[in-house]
Amino acid sequence: MSVLGAWRDGTRRVHAAPLLLLGMYALTLFVALPLSIALRGMIEAQLGDSLAAETIASGANLDWWQEFSAQAHGLATTFVPSLVGFGAVLENINGILENVPMAATIAGVTAAWMVIWSFLSGGVIDRYARQRPTRAYGFFAACGTHFWRFLRVGVLAWIVYWVLFAHVHGWIFDGFYPWITSDMTVERTAALVRLGCYAVFGVLLIASNIVFDYARVRIVVEDRHSAIGALVAGARFVRRHPATFRLYALNAIVFLVLAIAYAMLSPGPRGTAMIWLAILIGQLYILLRHYVKLLFYASQTAFFQAGLAHASYTAAPVVVWPDSPAAESIANASPEPRIEA
Amino acid sequence: MIARRLALTAVLAVAATLSILSQGGGGNPTQPPQIQPVDPTHPTILPAKKPAPVLQVPQFPAAAPARPPSAARSPRNASYTITARLDPASRTLTGEELLTWRNRTSVPATSLRFHLYYNAWRNTRSSWMREAMLAHGPGIADRPGSDWGWIDVTSLKLVRSGAPVDVLSSLRFIAPDDGNAYDQTLAEVSLDTPVKPGETINVQVAWSSRIPRTFARTGTIGNYYFLAQWFPKISVFEETGWNSHQFHASTEFFSDFGVYDVRLTVPTGWIVGATGVERSPRRDEADRTTTHHYHAEDVHDFAWTTSPDFQERTERFGHPGLPPVAMRLLIQPEHWNQADRHFQAARAALKYYGEWFGPYPYPNLTIVDPAWQSGTGGMEYPTLITAGTQWIAPQRVADPEQVVVHEAGHQFWYGIVATNEFEHAWMDEGINTFATARTLDQFFGPQYYSKRYFGGFIPWVFTDLPMSRATDGNRLSYYRTAGGLDAQSEPTWRYWPGSGGVLTYAKTALWMHTLERMLGWETLQKILSTFFNRYAFSHPKPQDFFSVVNEVSGRDLTWFFDQVYRGSASFDYKVDIFTSERIEDRGRLSDAKGRVATRLMSDTYRTSVVVRREGEGVFPVDVRVVFEDKQEMRWQWDGKARWKLFEVERPTRAVSAQVDPDRILLLDTNYTNNSRTLKPRTRAASRTWSLAWLVWLQDHLLTYGFFI
Repeated sequence: MSVLGAWRDGTRRVHAAPLLLLGMYALTLFVALPLSIALRGMIEAQLGDSLAAETIASGANLDWWQEFSAQAHGLATTFVPSLVGFGAVLENINGILENVPMAATIAGVTAAWMVIWSFLSGGVIDRYARQRPTRAYGFFAACGTHFWRFLRVGVLAWIVYWVLFAHVHGWIFDGFYPWITSDMTVERTAALVRLGCYAVFGVLLIASNIVFDYARVRIVVEDRHSAIGALVAGARFVRRHPATFRLYALNAIVFLVLAIAYAMLSPGPRGTAMIWLAILIGQLYILLRHYVKLLFYASQTAFFQAGLAHASYTAAPVVVWPDSPAAESIANASPEPRIEA
Repeated sequence: MIARRLALTAVLAVAATLSILSQGGGGNPTQPPQIQPVDPTHPTILPAKKPAPVLQVPQFPAAAPARPPSAARSPRNASYTITARLDPASRTLTGEELLTWRNRTSVPATSLRFHLYYNAWRNTRSSWMREAMLAHGPGIADRPGSDWGWIDVTSLKLVRSGAPVDVLSSLRFIAPDDGNAYDQTLAEVSLDTPVKPGETINVQVAWSSRIPRTFARTGTIGNYYFLAQWFPKISVFEETGWNSHQFHASTEFFSDFGVYDVRLTVPTGWIVGATGVERSPRRDEADRTTTHHYHAEDVHDFAWTTSPDFQERTERFGHPGLPPVAMRLLIQPEHWNQADRHFQAARAALKYYGEWFGPYPYPNLTIVDPAWQSGTGGMEYPTLITAGTQWIAPQRVADPEQVVVHEAGHQFWYGIVATNEFEHAWMDEGINTFATARTLDQFFGPQYYSKRYFGGFIPWVFTDLPMSRATDGNRLSYYRTAGGLDAQSEPTWRYWPGSGGVLTYAKTALWMHTLERMLGWETLQKILSTFFNRYAFSHPKPQDFFSVVNEVSGRDLTWFFDQVYRGSASFDYKVDIFTSERIEDRGRLSDAKGRVATRLMSDTYRTSVVVRREGEGVFPVDVRVVFEDKQEMRWQWDGKARWKLFEVERPTRAVSAQVDPDRILLLDTNYTNNSRTLKPRTRAASRTWSLAWLVWLQDHLLTYGFFI
């Protein structure tokens, strides 16, 4: 299957499971909402009954915001002027690429969300692999089945990412980059060097990410129990199919288009109506970001399943429910179903 | 031969003396010289006397300029004739200078003191390095050996009458500020014969220096050189003796006015920019170098820059009521498309500062766009400034405009009114920060909050976050970080490391703007104009400024300066309690018809406001209450007590109460608590902005979803 074909198939699979999309969106919303409520209390406490609330209820007030920031502690320190509109996206991407430390509370909720998402992603990939409704029972059964395997893969992934961010990032950005630009007097040249550094680090990051993605896909589709085995199998698949990078790039382009559209369309906080419109458009952007994230899963699963039938592959024997998505895939591919319910 | 030279010299000396006697002493060109009484508490330098003739000395540069000097606007008591050669291969500078120095005081000078600023970066033992490491951590010293710089005096001779006397062996380093025996930024040579009041001496100095990779403001990177504080410079001698400080991390400089005649030899083809005006012709030497000759009069410093990479452009500043100025821009090639922005900003500074304070008296201004990573940007020298911009510079952000206006503005506050930056840095930095914000407000238009990402290369402008002159222009958020660490009246060099910027720039600008709101711009402008013109080409002290404020405003504002200048207290007034309720009387009462009642409700509302002084700073403030019928009431409070109750009874209910409603006191660090309302929109505000933040957090989670 071509890259474009896999991508199209992926979009079809995502569209065929709208509840998944809404469910994952709801997960993110409910994990983030308590902190939003906590911040609301902090803003209320700072404002009191002040007239300042009148101005910021209907627009942004940089003067007040800077005063708030000067008094902020803990979670409130994350409430900064640069998170308005597209600034939020830039802050977050910059945070990863520049390895900016997170506030403790944010780190905690991020870790919790990642664990919950890891749990649910097993069911998500299983649903996309089967290409048919699995119902709540089937979905959560798949979540439970694959969670501990995903967790083991996650530990290995965490080690790899830790090496990349704790060491490789420093070698490149705190060692190589300052060294090579130390005597540069032209900013443009240094900017190109930095772009090159992002490219090098990005390739390492993305390559790792693709391998882990396909490791998870193989755990689900092939019902693999060994995390290391899945990782090795994932790496083998990526090595044999360089088109996985092209598929990844295609999905990344979709994300970039989404981000650019958000940057252009997100209204500024001028007036109460515009603030609410900005919030709604923001939530629409978040929903579409979930779509893109699920599209990664779905298109990679489609690409892998299309690549199942190769000389070295041997499908597992037919099993009773909950049977393997691989078996379903093969069965769906043939004119006559061979699965016994 | 020697006798003939001496005779010629004597004739020239007499002629020069007669010439200068006929012109009068130094002072403002538009006013006769100001004769100041000598106040023992605030010593004032005596009016300028006639400068002594400059001697013709072999092997050192000729002191007499090619053209007759213009009428002196300053005392011109520290004049330099310098020749220097830059060797880029070894990054060294060798130079010789003839210093003509006159004792302007009524006390004899028993020694001479020289600043050797480059020795701040000789090693980590200098006071500058120690203080910088205290403020910024030891990492600042983590430099390769080739980065360090220094200056070595190789010859020091006094020329009074007869042959020069070698005094190099008696030159010794001193540390009057902190006793650091390793600091070599200040040197003193004792004199067998003191320099009498009014006497002029000549000093021949030769030196060699290693140009540092920039630690602060001066140095080199690649083939870009910026040379500031590069020559042995005499200190300022006052009635109380030498006013000379070691070089500190938080301070700048202080020196006397004079004439600078400087010849600089650099590789041929390298573009030179310097204080003053270049005199033609340039002289090409046999070793593929070229000597550039610069001349500047009535300046107290000389800086220069050279690089083969500059691109050059010139324009002219013209104004119907101000003298023309030739502007020269030396810009990096990658910023060529920003040349117009540099000139527009320089024009704005010359226009508005000229209109508000007084005309720029020099014929030229050079603007230098420093090389990236040179560390020499954002600095002022007489008739030469360094700006600084970035490759991607959005139009709606005042970069480079802000730095160009600020540094050009320093020509007025520092260059012409030459305050002591070691001791009173607020006088130039603070007044200039205030004036810069005002100028930008006039010509740039709305400015917006911006931030840079991805290594600082990619800017993003938040067009929904406009910045205000009052708080952002005067750097209120900066002030909040360290405003209470020291009192401004402390000498600047003794400020806590890292707090100097807050106190000199932000605090001064904020209380200057507070003065504007108290007195009105017209009065403040008159104050600043009077101060500028009265103290042009001299070294005023803080009390001089305060006296002008009182004089021109017609008010005694000593209390104000006691709070903002002599104290370090923070200011914070708040509305503590605010109620407005219908008056209800209870007990044994009679109504209007004489009937007995135990409870009577009135149609009148009693409005009560308690305002509280949370900070230690005291400032008179207004208290305003607004009523439902849109009427308002105001009270004036001297702000001294810890709290005060204001009450009024009216037929309508009050809606809001504010202390300092017009925000006169810009030093109040917490303005949110200055008001209360009985119809708060707090819930709506907190709800909308917490939901806006929610989008950021959701996006953050999904961004980290990359890893799973």
